[in-house]
Amino acid sequence: MAKTEPYDVIIVGSGAGGGMSAYHLTKSGMKVLMLEAGRHYDPLTETAMFNIPAEAPLRGVGTPDKPFGFYDATVDGGWQVPNEPYTVAEGSEFLWWRPRMLGGRTNHWGRISLRFGPYDFKPYSRDGLGYDWPITYDELAPWYDKVEKLIGVTGRAQGLENTPDSPEGCLLPPPPPRAFETFLSRGFESMGIPVAAMHGAVLTQPLNGRAQCIFATPCGRGCSIRANFQSTTVLLPPAMATGNLTIRTDALVYQVDLDSAGKAEGVTFVDRKTGEHHTVKARAVVLAAGSGETARILLNSKSPLFPDGIGNGSGKVGRYLMDSVGANAAGQFPALENLPPTNDDGMGVEHVYVPWWGYQKQAHKEMDFPRGYHIEMGGGRSMPSMGLARIIGDDMTSVGPALRNKLRGRFGSVVGFAGRGEMIPNEDCYCELDPTVKDKWGIPVLRFHWKWSEHETRQAAHMVKTFLEVIDRLGGRAAPGIETDGAKAISKGGEIIHEVGTARMGASDKDSVVDGYGQSWAVKNLFITDGAVLVSSPDKNPTLSILALSWRSSDHLAELARKGEL
Amino acid sequence: MSERPYVSKVDRRTALIWLGAVGAAAAGDPARAGVVVQAAGAAGVQVLGYGTDPNLVHPVIPWPRTLTKDQLQACAHFCDFILPSEGPTPSASALGVPDFIDEWVSAPYPEQVRDRPLLLEGLASLDKAAWQIGASSFTGAAAAQRDSILAGLPKTSPGFFLRFRGLVVGAYYTTREGFKDIGYVGNVARLSDPGPSPEVKAHLERELKKLGL
Repeated sequence: MAKTEPYDVIIVGSGAGGGMSAYHLTKSGMKVLMLEAGRHYDPLTETAMFNIPAEAPLRGVGTPDKPFGFYDATVDGGWQVPNEPYTVAEGSEFLWWRPRMLGGRTNHWGRISLRFGPYDFKPYSRDGLGYDWPITYDELAPWYDKVEKLIGVTGRAQGLENTPDSPEGCLLPPPPPRAFETFLSRGFESMGIPVAAMHGAVLTQPLNGRAQCIFATPCGRGCSIRANFQSTTVLLPPAMATGNLTIRTDALVYQVDLDSAGKAEGVTFVDRKTGEHHTVKARAVVLAAGSGETARILLNSKSPLFPDGIGNGSGKVGRYLMDSVGANAAGQFPALENLPPTNDDGMGVEHVYVPWWGYQKQAHKEMDFPRGYHIEMGGGRSMPSMGLARIIGDDMTSVGPALRNKLRGRFGSVVGFAGRGEMIPNEDCYCELDPTVKDKWGIPVLRFHWKWSEHETRQAAHMVKTFLEVIDRLGGRAAPGIETDGAKAISKGGEIIHEVGTARMGASDKDSVVDGYGQSWAVKNLFITDGAVLVSSPDKNPTLSILALSWRSSDHLAELARKGEL
Repeated sequence: MSERPYVSKVDRRTALIWLGAVGAAAAGDPARAGVVVQAAGAAGVQVLGYGTDPNLVHPVIPWPRTLTKDQLQACAHFCDFILPSEGPTPSASALGVPDFIDEWVSAPYPEQVRDRPLLLEGLASLDKAAWQIGASSFTGAAAAQRDSILAGLPKTSPGFFLRFRGLVVGAYYTTREGFKDIGYVGNVARLSDPGPSPEVKAHLERELKKLGL
């Protein structure tokens, strides 16, 4: 590693933001050192593609060691990471998902890849709530095009409001809807709610030397044939092939180091295996450690010049923390019983979804919450799991042939609905350094504060109301215990794992941490390319936007370096 | 299930792993191992899970099994009462589901630790019920007596019955034989996804028409 020091750029983190930065900067000819807090991870050899639950401990159910199930791609991390605590302020609830692996959460993510729309960049201008971004949709659109062409995203143009269509040649053909998806579409459409083809980061055709999907095995396990998007299969291999990328894993960065002129000269990290501390140098630093960890690094980077942490002169680091609003329901549909056996595996992502349909009503103040949500639906004749008996949850007695017949008849007739909605940033949701708690290596940890506002709880209530209405229209029976009170139905902060916004971009250093290119106002050769820079958190899942923003920021960084302006 | 005793269906590799763990934790005594697991998290030997970074492709189960021979036999009877063989379709015990119950009640994770007393006390209640009708134990009772006891469970012990049935159903249908029985036809590589067949589409249309959609 020491051979090529000082590097041109150090990138902290290897997920969507860091992976994309590494891809572009190495292809731009820059020598890059990537530091990843987790272990090395190779999806080609470590992914349990066709393993069935019977081959896993406890049939693969989630445990505290593997919360999303045994075969979930996430290794060496989760809701809790040994030796690396975080705290939550009294009265708050917040969950923080941290993979500790190369590629970060891109290995297990949901692959839903929706562009933010024009309204999403100017929410304050539209309804007076939240904050506007310093950039527009049109400025980011070319980068969305590039990302879609590089990673492979399904979908089709549908002409829906604030749900951008991609130019010709950007998207791959979506797979046909599964039977239950067609069924649900008919129900939603009868309510005047359009259903659209999913934009999923899965190859339905070969692309850029990668094989197409085999329409089997869950994407959340990762993909050993590289047919879905993971930083480890799509971004890091071509970056490595340039010869310009060095990756060091188990390197937990906790500080950006400054020179006497106040410019970044490198970072300091602790090796999680040995406990040794190391300092490495570069001409520029990119933080992409994830919104929480990036804020933590900034806050821990204290110096006489920045006594409260880098870029925190206006107290904005850690602020405006957001997550997606989430609420769920499930229904059992007699109409889906006894379907002839059909292979519903498809691509690992939903084939259709319900984009937000209420923009005009909200513009005319006809709804009691200001921002929208989309609906994801899971069901069909997917691989049975340990939860199978829930499909006969109303049957208290059957055994033997009666039990078998009921299970066979109802298999595939239960559908789960998940709403994912926009949260408006508020003053009560933020992270800061805990004044006393430190990790194993003595580094101060984050303390989270969280409080949903009525904007979100009313939206959650609307989600559940919509789910119950479509279940009823389709002759279904709602699962017992569905909570209709939005304040109770809503997810916990961080639970949807879309935490963004702790070092937001803005038009001036008075109200933001970085500019519209992710460049630190305070330290010019420091960039942030992860979800921390997001100004708002639309219902659309953030990863595609993080990739587009990261590519744009990295291109700007490379351009400044070329001009000698870093 | 036939009247022949249930024989574990675990493969040699798993058996060896379990054996090693039992030896380390409880000197090979299943009864003592049970005590150890019950004490896990409090005093006593810590029984470990598979950790946050297990081998996903070649999984191993690191905790010892703890059911006694008698408890395992009782499980086997109950498993096959819930899912007996049906023509060529195998019974639950033929697929090793009793071993899975053992794996479940012996696991160190919170959900399983919570289930353990419910399931063990439920199994113990079977012996009590057998004794009340004149048998020495549940496993020692005649087949008709056992079935009669099990048939009464939804009324006498609904919590135990439903939890046990849920585990048996889950364990059974997560096997390849279970997939076949329930009509799961996926987990095979395909060149394309043609979507639902005309037969499935016709079925759906009939149902949607009934709903007026």
